[in-house]
Amino acid sequence: MAATTESVKADAAEAPLLNKTNLWAGIALYLVFYSFIRWYEGVYGWSAGLDSFAPEFETYWMNMLYIELVLEVVISAALWGYLWKSRDRKVMSITPREELRRHFTHWTWLVCYGWAIYWGASYFTEQDGTWHQTIVRDTDFTPSHIIEFYLSYPIYIITGVAAFLYAKTRLPTYNEGLHLMYMVVVIGPFMILPNVGLNEWGHTFWFMEELFVAPLHYGFVFFGWAALGILGVLNTEVMAITKLLKKDLA
Amino acid sequence: MSASQSAVRSRAEAVQVSRAFDWMILFTLFTAVLGGYHIHYMLTGGDWDFWTDWKDRRLWVTVAPIVSITFPAAVQACLWWRYRLPVGATVSVLALLLGEWINRYMNFWGWTYFPVNFVFPSNLIPGAIVLDVVLMLGGSMTLTAVVGGMAYGLLFYPGNWPIIAPLHVPVEYNGMMFTLADLQGYHYVRTGTPEYIRMVEKGTLRTFGKDVAPVSAFFSAFVSIIIYFLWHFFGRWFSKTDFIADDAS
Repeated sequence: MAATTESVKADAAEAPLLNKTNLWAGIALYLVFYSFIRWYEGVYGWSAGLDSFAPEFETYWMNMLYIELVLEVVISAALWGYLWKSRDRKVMSITPREELRRHFTHWTWLVCYGWAIYWGASYFTEQDGTWHQTIVRDTDFTPSHIIEFYLSYPIYIITGVAAFLYAKTRLPTYNEGLHLMYMVVVIGPFMILPNVGLNEWGHTFWFMEELFVAPLHYGFVFFGWAALGILGVLNTEVMAITKLLKKDLA
Repeated sequence: MSASQSAVRSRAEAVQVSRAFDWMILFTLFTAVLGGYHIHYMLTGGDWDFWTDWKDRRLWVTVAPIVSITFPAAVQACLWWRYRLPVGATVSVLALLLGEWINRYMNFWGWTYFPVNFVFPSNLIPGAIVLDVVLMLGGSMTLTAVVGGMAYGLLFYPGNWPIIAPLHVPVEYNGMMFTLADLQGYHYVRTGTPEYIRMVEKGTLRTFGKDVAPVSAFFSAFVSIIIYFLWHFFGRWFSKTDFIADDAS
């Protein structure tokens, strides 16, 4: 009886397997932040974003670019550095229950990563199309580019690398080496950034129609395919979780 | 706790854990496929999908199925062969359409003021359902590629025709015969519209579907078969669980 009471007390004191507060906070963080960004675009895109030679363009758009670039470097260094410095050096000796808890935390990262991919690759990328069909570009740093290339893409790269680092440093599943598809998922989007350079170089030197299906853009397509690497990560996770549960759920 | 023990304390908890993972996996898969598929589709078939007057062209009937059968084939290759879930194509297409609809409302209409009836996304759902059903009933990748892939290409135009039919109503404008879709494009000129589309083709009835649309759809269906095969194998490759040796570990 006493042992049972102690066990129940221990269970009650134990951290939950899935920290739902962190999960919803992660989703809400991106939603609120990007809603603010969309509001900013709506207000300052038309009023200050049409002419890159105008003083107000410098105030509202170039300053935003400088601020976001600095913040991205600082946040990625701090986040990735923290995940690496606080790594578990005895990862192979954790209990199955702790491992399961960490898989939930890993999936909280992956949910945020999927959510960040949506905003970057879907929402702000197609948005760029509508802006350039309406406003002729006179600089590489148009309002839609300052959000798409230099804000939303880095955010999903930062999130993806953080998820990868969490898995690598805290889960026994990923201890045997570098997971090929995880690398594809994380490095693929990163390679979009060099392609941004090619894209802007092309648009600068060739007067082009704003055709979305122009071959100059195919590099983005190729690296977009890397998102499918999530299938390999999913399969690995399902195998690991099934092994941990050891229960017939049929 | 021994390594041979379960991480959960009861079957009920195992079920609860499993369901929680299901939702998190579904959300991540849906949003990641949405992002990858959307960037792929908008940069390979996008212009023909953005504008109603471009949807009036035969190239739309030809290009849209060929470039859109890619992700459905790849996701099927994982969800069917690993989990026997015959929903890969439908999930992919629903993800793409959700992303497109949000964009057309929030950005095309909400930011740059294009009317939604000028920019609505193409309907890919009938082809995706058939692709999944053929795989489910046949259980064969070859059958799905040949029959499902062909159906995917052939169903695209009739699947959209009820939506675009009203925009094919002919109107006379400044002495020229237009479609309603053409007239919309004439009044909402885009900076990137190529001259040959904007000026040359405009105002002729040869942009109607008529007898050339089925011919274009058949060509599209044949190419869709090949693209299905190719992307099925891409999907299998992306589903790998291999590790690269890590010297640091």
